[in-house]
Amino acid sequence: MRRQTKYSLRRKTIGSVPLIDPVLGLIARYSSTLLLLVVFLIVTTVGIFVMRDLHTTNVEAQKMYVGSVLGLRRIGELQYEAQETRRATFYALTTDDSNLQIEYADQSREADRLVNEGIIEYLRQARTPHEIEMASRLQDDWSEYLKVRNEVLASILEGSTREAVDLDLAGGVQSFDRVRQDLEEIKRLYDEQASQRLANVVATSRRFAIRLIAVLAFTLIFASASVWAIQRSKMLAAIQLANLQMEFVASVSHELRTPLAVISSAADNIVDGLVSGKEELQRYGSVIRNQSRQITELVDQILLFASTQDRRSRYVLRPLQISQVIDSVLDNTSELLQGAGFVVERQIEASLPCVLGDLSALSQCLRNLIVNAVKYSGESRWIGIRALLADSEDRASREIQITVQDRGIGIDRLEMSHIFEPFYRSAAVIAAQIHGAGLGLSLAKNIAEAMGGKLSVVSELALGSAFTLHLPIMEEQELKMTAASFDSTPLIQI
Amino acid sequence: MPRRGTILPVFIGAGFLAGALSFASDLHPLIPSEPPTASEQNLAVVVNLSNPIENLSMAELRNLFLGERSHWPNGRRITLVMMEPGQPERAAVLSLICQMSESDFKNHFLHGLFTGEVFVSPKTLATPVGVRKFVFNVPGAIGYLRATDVDASVKVIRVDERLPEEKGYKLHIPPRPSK
Repeated sequence: MRRQTKYSLRRKTIGSVPLIDPVLGLIARYSSTLLLLVVFLIVTTVGIFVMRDLHTTNVEAQKMYVGSVLGLRRIGELQYEAQETRRATFYALTTDDSNLQIEYADQSREADRLVNEGIIEYLRQARTPHEIEMASRLQDDWSEYLKVRNEVLASILEGSTREAVDLDLAGGVQSFDRVRQDLEEIKRLYDEQASQRLANVVATSRRFAIRLIAVLAFTLIFASASVWAIQRSKMLAAIQLANLQMEFVASVSHELRTPLAVISSAADNIVDGLVSGKEELQRYGSVIRNQSRQITELVDQILLFASTQDRRSRYVLRPLQISQVIDSVLDNTSELLQGAGFVVERQIEASLPCVLGDLSALSQCLRNLIVNAVKYSGESRWIGIRALLADSEDRASREIQITVQDRGIGIDRLEMSHIFEPFYRSAAVIAAQIHGAGLGLSLAKNIAEAMGGKLSVVSELALGSAFTLHLPIMEEQELKMTAASFDSTPLIQI
Repeated sequence: MPRRGTILPVFIGAGFLAGALSFASDLHPLIPSEPPTASEQNLAVVVNLSNPIENLSMAELRNLFLGERSHWPNGRRITLVMMEPGQPERAAVLSLICQMSESDFKNHFLHGLFTGEVFVSPKTLATPVGVRKFVFNVPGAIGYLRATDVDASVKVIRVDERLPEEKGYKLHIPPRPSK
């Protein structure tokens, strides 16, 4: 019943991809959900990076708008209000009506108030030394101009138009030109800053676009690879299952054909009158009976496996004395063991506590382990059966350990993880023409787990193997309750 | 009946006392002379905030409002601001300061400008707000406003050492005519 490399079968069936197929095998064995989770995590991470880039670009654009566009608009307003200050002063020159002149003077003063506010705001927002210097210069030049403007307004209101014009020509024009130059300089400064920020935004956008394309491409490739891997792993799993089934059918057919051939041959001899005498007839009858039992056992194993696989098996649990179970199994296999000339070494601790289990299933489990030991003992004709009370692996409780040991061919370390898989038989076993369906260990493991225990193995190639059945013991109180329950309801089914 | 020699000093003493009281009432604001009636309001004489002048006598005011002075002591040209004819403030200035009728005032300026005796032609504004803004804008301007129309943009000067809110202030105007 041992190992045949199923991956070698698969490689023969489809084109193999070195390094990838083992990974795909792992995916097929576990779950493609893990792969999808990885894809999701990667896409989420990428999404976070993309969002961060978007945010950065957005912040840059906002800074550019606030810093440059609004700044330029402010400078435009400043220029307009400065012109308005001067324009309203000149309007006052155009009339002799003092009331109108006062109105124009008011307009001029209102405009100059707005200019002052704008300059203060610009000064407040100035960051670089150059900006601060420019703002201070503008403030000074504007104050100079306002002094002249006030004199001009006074002259106009006094009625001295000529004097007002002279004053403006003497000082107003120059000082206002300086203000205008200051505003142009500030505007140029804003233009430069806007250009620089625009260049930054463009560079950031370009970086973002490249990164986004790269990320999308990577995500697309990774997603495609993932889908391909999932599909391939599923396909491999399906092919593997089909191969195993075909191998199983072939193996079972072979296992059936051998005893059938013996039975058929014996029957032919009897019919052809080649068998004479009572003794010879008995010998033929015995051969036919043994081969029939072998066929029956094989069919039973298959049916049992099928029933455990569809999860419909029902076990009747009851307190069992392990020594009695072992003795019973040894009795049942004594013919096999004695026929093959095996020495059985039996070590069972006295007064072992009871375990809760199904007698038939547990017997089947032990029988499978003993039959396996017989099959793979090679030239050695020794089997050891040991039962003892020990701590469980996590030392949290006590358990009964039943070990079936042989000194046979052993198991390759690489195949240890596959020997409990159904239908699994190694290439070496097949080559050695050791018959079997690859179900015995799988069945034994299922039964052990159904009894709340487990099946472990220790093996060295060419030195032999030891399979240990771990069964939890029943506490005294639990035992009493179960016994009472068993008295009232004879069956405990799981 | 008192003797003739004792009556004379009494009269002289009473005359001194009356004169002293009268003088004190002129000087000290707490001693009222002619308090405004409930329907009257004080008229404030206002100049530009930059003007250093603090006090003017009634005579100096008359000279100013009749255009007989051209410059302030600081050298600034004087600009006289009047409200339009028909306004009670203008009427009060004409009667209390210039002691002229409207026609006499106009004739005075026409004649004075022609002969060169008058140096300043008054600017005429329609509203108290206009007057206030004019005085605020022109450093050499002088005008008048109701005390209630005055704000921090102009400077109120004393007239004969008194501010409009002080007792003994002489420039009063009747309330605005109801519209």
